[in-house]
Amino acid sequence: MIPIEFFLMFSAILFVIGIYGIMTKNNAIVVLMCIELVLNAANINLVAFAAYNGDIMGQVFVVFTVAVAACEVAVGIAILLNAYKMKKTTVIDDLTELRW
Amino acid sequence: MFIEYTWLIPVIPLIFFVIIGLTGNKTPKEGGIIAIIGALASLVLSVLVVYEFLTGPAYNGGVGYVTDAVTWFSIPGGFTLTLGYYVDGLTCVMLMFSSLISLLIFIYSIGYMHDQGKRNRRYFAEVSLFLAGMLGLIISNNYLMTFVFWEIMGLCSYLLIGFWSFRHPEGDVASDNAASAAKKAFIVTRLGDVSFMGGLFVLLYAFQSLDYVNLFDPAAIAAVDTNLIVLATLLLFGGAIGKSAQFPLQDWLPDAMAGPTTVSALIHAATMVKAGVYLVARSYPLFVQSADVMLLVGLIGGITAILAASMALNNMNIKKVLAYSTISQLGYMIMALGAGGYMMAIGMKEGNTALIAAGAAGYTAGVFHMFNHAFFKALLFLGSGSVIHSCGTEDMREMGGLGKKMKWTSITMLIGSMSIAGFPFFSGFWSKDLVLESVMKASEFGPEGYIFMIIWILGVVTAFMTAFYMFRMWYMTFAGPEGHATEHSHGESPSTMTVPLMLLSIFAFGSGFLILFGLDGIITISPDSITGAFIVGMHEGHGAVHYIEELFTNPYTYLTIVLALLGIYIAYLMYSKFSVNPGRFNREGESRLYKALEKRWWFPQLYDWISWKFGYGIAKGVDYFDRNVIDGTVNGLSGSVVGSGESAKYVQTGNVGNYASIVMIGVAAVFVAALILIYYMGGM
Repeated sequence: MIPIEFFLMFSAILFVIGIYGIMTKNNAIVVLMCIELVLNAANINLVAFAAYNGDIMGQVFVVFTVAVAACEVAVGIAILLNAYKMKKTTVIDDLTELRW
Repeated sequence: MFIEYTWLIPVIPLIFFVIIGLTGNKTPKEGGIIAIIGALASLVLSVLVVYEFLTGPAYNGGVGYVTDAVTWFSIPGGFTLTLGYYVDGLTCVMLMFSSLISLLIFIYSIGYMHDQGKRNRRYFAEVSLFLAGMLGLIISNNYLMTFVFWEIMGLCSYLLIGFWSFRHPEGDVASDNAASAAKKAFIVTRLGDVSFMGGLFVLLYAFQSLDYVNLFDPAAIAAVDTNLIVLATLLLFGGAIGKSAQFPLQDWLPDAMAGPTTVSALIHAATMVKAGVYLVARSYPLFVQSADVMLLVGLIGGITAILAASMALNNMNIKKVLAYSTISQLGYMIMALGAGGYMMAIGMKEGNTALIAAGAAGYTAGVFHMFNHAFFKALLFLGSGSVIHSCGTEDMREMGGLGKKMKWTSITMLIGSMSIAGFPFFSGFWSKDLVLESVMKASEFGPEGYIFMIIWILGVVTAFMTAFYMFRMWYMTFAGPEGHATEHSHGESPSTMTVPLMLLSIFAFGSGFLILFGLDGIITISPDSITGAFIVGMHEGHGAVHYIEELFTNPYTYLTIVLALLGIYIAYLMYSKFSVNPGRFNREGESRLYKALEKRWWFPQLYDWISWKFGYGIAKGVDYFDRNVIDGTVNGLSGSVVGSGESAKYVQTGNVGNYASIVMIGVAAVFVAALILIYYMGGM
């Protein structure tokens, strides 16, 4: 059996990649994708601990999380579509209307 | 039967004030008739109440007063403030002359104010309210109610003195125009009112009540620290100084002549300035707790009397001469009350009943002089109003020789002048000599008695001056060659004006004789021999024999008679026969004394100086504090909030990446902090 540390390490790496993408990428679609990476990093942790402890609850949570993530992406893409309609761009640096 | 309706006496003119104010223009004489009906109703009810009280059981062997009240409001902690009436001998006398004289003045106003048209609605509404204020003050059963009506009168005097506020003939200072004079009267009396209010606080603190019944209870007085009573009476007397125009707040009264003459008559005879004297007389049971306070009262009265009389000596304005004479006569009243109270205070301390009786005689003299003064001063003012109405000027130099053209006015004015001058058997003679006799008597007692000797000398000199300046006024107006204004005068005034003058002249001549027929029994005050409670009235009068004997066996009475006659004679020589030139005594108006009198002993300058230096200085300091400290704090706080917001708003870049970074940094910081915490707690 693969030790739990491998899963945790993998999840951490995935998380950091996601965060890095959110903070640096300029394209809103890529940022949304990176958010999915961060979410899935959390999902891996849940699944890993569920298997490790023999507790089915963790896997149930993951099913919920996947459903929520799907909704969230739908909303996010909808917003981006509208933003694109208005501004003809999905570059984050150009979408800075709501500020001081 | 009627006494339960005493509360209606001030309410009637109050209701008529509202009626005239709302519908005056549609009623006959712009509300004048309604005002007269109101005053008449008050007079009739007053007569009924007084008659019932004087024949009722309370007065004849009872407690000496009738009182009833409803609760106005209560303050948690045991204070209950009431609204009600309190009728005793003093109330009776005040009610009678206030309502009677007001009625006559209202009738006279119909003639005097006939050319004022629509403005009369305002005039008659305000005089009705004024009368309501005075009558309410008289029947009040507690100090708070007294204070309320006291303030109503202050307001009315302001409104009425400023009746011709739109006229600015000569300038902006108080002696030149009505608006400033009204303001001055209001502000100067306000000083006294603040003092009065302070007195009320002290009394409420000391007695837990403001009802006369509780305050004048000897057991309650004995239970309270005397120093508190002294403080309270001094503050109350401050109120009287303001209202009754005593030294050093006397200067508003001459300027108050800017109002219509009828208003001056109302203020000087029936209402307003009598309220201060009334307050002292009403608070006698408290005042006599300290002889020193009474000494101060007498001294203020003496100084006021001579100071005001001196200023009347060379004044050329007929109304201002009368105004100064009012202040001077008020000084007499206060002087008599002070002397009587001084003797009563010493008598109560020593248990000397003869001395208490002498004190009661002083009280009688003071109230009696107030009573007489009301009639002859109303007469004199209305007479001067008749002269002004006919001549169109107030300057006596332009009058002269009016006697032939205005027979009734000149005769009635002569009666008034003789009365105030103390000509024998006229009303002023009786009361003035009783006042001086009381002051003389007070000088024999106590270590500070000699001060009353000084006050007596001031009083006697004032009597001489009074005779001189009143007859100077009379001769300058009615005798001698015809002046410029006389030639253009309209002749005698209409009968609405002369009939009140005639009625008043009867009273001005005859009211003094009432003392011979038992009036003194109603207006005396004495502690009950058993309970020690002060009772106003309820005595048999001393009778005619007592007073005639007392006055005519006293050598000083002859001294004052001689001085009064001398004053009249000098005035005759100077202003009617012209054999003595008054300019000889003042270097044709160039002497220092003459100038000091013309400048009213520099009192207006003193008021101005105090106002500018202290009042304006304090105002400037407060303004500085307000603008810099209070506004500075508020503005500084708001400025710092705006400024920090201004500088912090740039955090909101609108760039989603930046927000995400900040959230991440926050999460990382929380995570690190949690790790450190766990490490130090010894976990893991």
